[in-house]
Amino acid sequence: MEILGHLMGGFAAVFTPTNMLVMAIGLVLGMLIAVLPGLTLVMGVILALPFTYKMGVGPALVLLTAMYVSGTYGGAITAILFRIPGEPMDVPLLWDGYEMTRKGQAALALGWALLAALVAGLASSIVMVALTQPIAKIALSFSTPEFFAVVFFGLASVVTLSGSSVVNSLISLCVGLLIATVGVDAIYGAERFAFGLPFLQDGIEFLLVMVGAYGIGEVLTRMLEGFQGAQPATRDAQGRFITAFPKWAEMVKMKATFLRGTLTGLLVGVVPGAGATVSSFVAYGIESQYGKNGKALGTGAPEGIVTAKAAATASVGGAFIPLLAMGIPGSGATAIILAAFLLHGIQPGPQVFTHSPALIYLIFASVFVATVGKVILGYFAIKPLCRVLEAPEAVVSAFVVVFCFVGAFAQRNSLPDLYVMAAFGLIGFLFERYRFPLAPLVLGTILGPLAESNFMTTMVSYNNDWTVFFTRPVSGVILALSIAGLLWPVIRAMRESRRKNQTDGQTQAP
Amino acid sequence: MPPKVKLVLPYGLMLAVSGWLYWVATRIDVDTGGRITPAAWPKAIIVFMALLCLYEIVKRLLSGTENRAQTTFLPDAEEVAEQEEKRGLAPVSRPWMLAGGIGLITLYVILVPFAGFFLSTVLFLAAFPLAGGFKRPVFAATLGIAGGFLLIVVFMRVAYISLPLGVGPFRDVSLGLMRLIGVT
Repeated sequence: MEILGHLMGGFAAVFTPTNMLVMAIGLVLGMLIAVLPGLTLVMGVILALPFTYKMGVGPALVLLTAMYVSGTYGGAITAILFRIPGEPMDVPLLWDGYEMTRKGQAALALGWALLAALVAGLASSIVMVALTQPIAKIALSFSTPEFFAVVFFGLASVVTLSGSSVVNSLISLCVGLLIATVGVDAIYGAERFAFGLPFLQDGIEFLLVMVGAYGIGEVLTRMLEGFQGAQPATRDAQGRFITAFPKWAEMVKMKATFLRGTLTGLLVGVVPGAGATVSSFVAYGIESQYGKNGKALGTGAPEGIVTAKAAATASVGGAFIPLLAMGIPGSGATAIILAAFLLHGIQPGPQVFTHSPALIYLIFASVFVATVGKVILGYFAIKPLCRVLEAPEAVVSAFVVVFCFVGAFAQRNSLPDLYVMAAFGLIGFLFERYRFPLAPLVLGTILGPLAESNFMTTMVSYNNDWTVFFTRPVSGVILALSIAGLLWPVIRAMRESRRKNQTDGQTQAP
Repeated sequence: MPPKVKLVLPYGLMLAVSGWLYWVATRIDVDTGGRITPAAWPKAIIVFMALLCLYEIVKRLLSGTENRAQTTFLPDAEEVAEQEEKRGLAPVSRPWMLAGGIGLITLYVILVPFAGFFLSTVLFLAAFPLAGGFKRPVFAATLGIAGGFLLIVVFMRVAYISLPLGVGPFRDVSLGLMRLIGVT
């Protein structure tokens, strides 16, 4: 009842004129960004950040949340109608959504996507509201070894869920953790890796790493590919831009797929750094293996659309849980929302429920309202959204660079921050080029200080006895799970390689 | 470049950087009275990173290929690229376009403190699309001026963000513009 009361307060706050205006702007911007192939959801939320510097914390969070929620849908339209995934999370929609378009069922494919976004969005929001406060209460009882274990779990998860090489992911994570050590250390005040440069003594803001690596790095990557993404919009096989919902009986028949997609999205969303893209791929994989119609996936089966879209949408609710309960962002976009919190002097985590519960429930209510708003916008605004595709990508990218610069500069009004951000743009590009995933780098930068401070405090408190991490039950279990998660891909690769060698040996034998 | 060198180059570079960073970390000198030092955490990360690089270098040199270990869920980037290629969506490579882009971004960063946000942005917005293959120079120039002005209004008038004004005559231009849009 207490939660419900707070939630009602959150809705009342969302429905004030200022927040509704900001919500509407966020929904439109999020949708536009998701439609444009050169812009990713995370990049879009980053670009909006400068506008929140002078806003109150409430409207700032409403704006970013609305963009985040809305951004998980827009790319579905272009993926289904034009075979252009607006976001990496929409790639699975190409395999079934576009196939349906080719069969002349574009409107129905859009209907399934919209329905999945609505159902999974609302379901995951309910779970988010129900679980966040209890988890935050549990987190309040944690000591530094448990917090270190939770952060370690997040870092280990992002390694196993990003990129295709564990070694590259680990190296990327190490680089991120090292970036986080630059500046004056919090416990002894020792200067580390600042090289006598004043701007490095304050440390490197994770926002600069994110803006550079995701924003500028992505622009450079697409520039190397010759800005191929933007193509003139064409209509679907029947020349229509409409959405048609499936029949009630068809929806009921698909309930297991809805459930699997939503649960997968929620669970993967909770894992730090995983986000909508991983959720979408994982759900698609699960559906193809366990779904009743799994074998038909990839041939224009609505199950492929539903599971991928439900998972991507549900990951939003999942990603908010660790952010609001423990201060650990569950995705790239929630990392920016974390930055918005920090910019306004609020550290998300279990204490926020005591200090500023209204703010937390404002976010919860925003997710609900944005989910409904996104569906309405997605239904009525297909035509203008498709027109946006005609914008030349080179022009859009020029504006992206300028927005990145303003975002990096305006946070501290510091010119050296511009150079740092540009440097991380180049690093981000090189990382992408040589297949070092960016998510571990960014998450390492964000969670590095948290991991280090909890590790150091534990070591100081327990007289340098590192076994305490394993002897305390909660931290021991979490660390064991993390290590198992890290080793699993390596063991799997070794087993596959052995199996391959055996098969090769058998085929070569006379 | 010999193929084997190309194969291990990124890891070799990271290994060298690890070695240098470790040396820097050894110079972090604080008396902690026997407790864990502030250099311990970065040193542990550096050593781990160096070991990973070393492992990958040895593995690649022995096998002569990338031979990547697959993670649990995500499809391999190369496999996806191959699939896309089969479907007729092979990515092209434009290194000169990229070099132009990097050059313009660098120039923009250098120019902003001297010429101010408005003038640098006008030049950047006009030049970057052309470097990116946009073939309408007059439109690009118009877009640069209109876009620069619009961004000044949005950032300085609407979002109240303080942006670099530049030096000397450029500063005068920025200040004049601010008066024009009503920012005092």
